[in-house]
Amino acid sequence: MTSSTPSAAAVMIEARGVEKWYPNGFQALRGVDLTVHQGEVVVIMGPSGSGKSTFIRTFNALEAFQKGSITVDGMALSDDVRNIDAIRREVGMVFQQFNLFPHLTVLQNLTLAPVLVRRRPRREVERQALDLLERVGIHEQAHKYPGQLSGGQQQRVAIARSLCMEPRIMLFDEPTSALDPEMVQEVLEVMQELARDGMTMVVVTHELRFARRVASRVVLMADGEVVEEAPPEQFFTNPRHERSRQFLSQIR
Amino acid sequence: MNTPGSSPLQRLRRELFASPLDGLISLLLIGFLLAVGLAVLRWMLFQAQWAVIQANSTLFAVGRYPVDQQWRLWLLTSLLALASGLSWGLLRRLPHPGPAWPRNDRLAVGLLIALAVVAPLALQLQASVQLRWWLITASLITSRWAAGRWGQAIPPALRRWIPLIWPLLYLAGMVLISGGLGLVSVPPSEWGGLLLTLLTASFAILLCFPLGVLLALGRRSELPLLRGASVLYIEFIRGAPLITLLFLGQNILGFLLPGGLAPDRVWRAAWVLTFFAAAYVAEAVRSGLAALPPGQLEAARSLGLPMPLALIHVVLPQALRVALPATVGQFISLLQDTTLLSLIGLLDLLGTARTVMANPAFLGKNGEVYLVLAVLFWCCCAALGLGSRALEHRLNPLSSPAQA
Ligand SMILES: Nc1ncnc2c1ncn2[C@@H]1O[C@H](COP(=O)(O)OP(=O)(O)OP(=O)(O)O)[C@@H](O)[C@H]1O
Ligand SMILES: [Mg+2]
Repeated sequence: MTSSTPSAAAVMIEARGVEKWYPNGFQALRGVDLTVHQGEVVVIMGPSGSGKSTFIRTFNALEAFQKGSITVDGMALSDDVRNIDAIRREVGMVFQQFNLFPHLTVLQNLTLAPVLVRRRPRREVERQALDLLERVGIHEQAHKYPGQLSGGQQQRVAIARSLCMEPRIMLFDEPTSALDPEMVQEVLEVMQELARDGMTMVVVTHELRFARRVASRVVLMADGEVVEEAPPEQFFTNPRHERSRQFLSQIR
Repeated sequence: MNTPGSSPLQRLRRELFASPLDGLISLLLIGFLLAVGLAVLRWMLFQAQWAVIQANSTLFAVGRYPVDQQWRLWLLTSLLALASGLSWGLLRRLPHPGPAWPRNDRLAVGLLIALAVVAPLALQLQASVQLRWWLITASLITSRWAAGRWGQAIPPALRRWIPLIWPLLYLAGMVLISGGLGLVSVPPSEWGGLLLTLLTASFAILLCFPLGVLLALGRRSELPLLRGASVLYIEFIRGAPLITLLFLGQNILGFLLPGGLAPDRVWRAAWVLTFFAAAYVAEAVRSGLAALPPGQLEAARSLGLPMPLALIHVVLPQALRVALPATVGQFISLLQDTTLLSLIGLLDLLGTARTVMANPAFLGKNGEVYLVLAVLFWCCCAALGLGSRALEHRLNPLSSPAQA
């Protein structure tokens, strides 16, 4: 894994002093810093309401922020719509609720964006989509509708849908939290394989085994701030901060 | 199927006479319905004098459309019949072939044939006119049959263009009705009856739909000016009775639109109907948009789809499906609202009826005329409702045979 020499690899995400207020005046982010290098898997943990979702949603401009700066794959996030669309093409996102398009078949879910946005020939995209579906193990369901699949299958389709855009970064916001326990593993395995293939990933999750095995670094957020940032081994066995210890004792 | 008590008679017994009280209510209701039905039937067969309809059938159908130009309307009707048959047959066979003649289709064909035989006879049309109706019915059924038989053979590349028949036919119909392109011009003041009703209604339905969708999107937009304008428009229209808007439209629409476009009275009314219905369609579409989880738009946007593409491919297909029943409900009230045109002096179906009833020769024949009007409107609305239900069924991914 590249985590041994992170500073040598290219910087994929660089967040500096990010602050965000929601329209109701609530400050969800209070000056957050984070640097993610190419090929790294950064796991973000933290109590509910600590701002994890808000933070990773700023990376692809699903949430606006008011102070600080974010650079993604060399492009500084600005209000310019074209800049935002360009960044979103390079950043895939997987949601807690899958958010598959229910009116399209699985295959159409995968091919929609590459055909419309990247303007690639449909035939070629379909072939790639079928390959991807095979990789996540749901090749036979290509012509079904999302409503006919189990939760675990839907989430794997959602991952394949993002991958079909050939992103350079993947964001995961609690990808297994809405799943029945017996389906969590199949999704984690897909993510693990993705990490092994060198994908740069930022994952919000409370799956300890996944974090231990796959993460390059674990980040603990609380009340809109980063409390601790450490390699998983150190974070789980010997956290430096009281807040981290408290959190770990709660989820274990 | 073979469970005891599932024969029709047994089922009737179970549903109508489950308990003594149920039985009593059922008996009373049946008696009441029989009495009303018989009375209406007796009136229709022995008391009513249908001469008023027979003598004025052309007037009811097309108003004062010039007799020597009426062949254009016959041509249009035949084209409509052919296109309907074609679409009907193709919808049954594409993209996944169902049974060639499902029970509903056999029923519909039977009904069409019965109507084609009974209606011209009851109206005592001339033999030549009767013959035309029979030919039109025959061509409808034949094209339905042909499309069902050979629809599968149409190459997929061509299939996508077939729905274009309808807009093309609509434009051709406009030319046929109003003239131009070498045809003698027939001004709107000479259109009337069912022709005028259907024309204004279809015009308004076709245009109010995209307008309503835009208004609904505007109402949810993040741009305050656009949102404010949409809200203002929708609330103003929904707060005003249509009849006042129609009168207003006759008076001010001429000023609002530039000279050449300043339409004559019929088109002014059609535009007012359009603007009126658009506000209601917008509300129906808004409820569809509200029903959509916000994650759908987020997912589309995070895949890099720009807003317009995300709306067209992800948001609207789902929102419009939810909004479809309410929207068609609006279309149906729109069709009925066209009767208000008679109050601003246009000779739509109701306006024509009023001139006929004012004719001393047909004094006191209001019952006959209104009954025919009611049945005609009911048929049009039922057709809209049936069409919408078929569409709903077809648009539902989980009910289409694709999943098999
Ligand atoms: N649209 C909003 N308007 C106002 N406040 C919001 C909004 N969305 C989130 N918040 C608040 O911002 C804070 C951070 O929310 P966020 O969803 O980022 O937390 P989270 O760490 O992802 O929590 P969870 O583990 O429950 O998903 C919370 O206190 C939440 O109440
Ligand atoms: Mg969250």
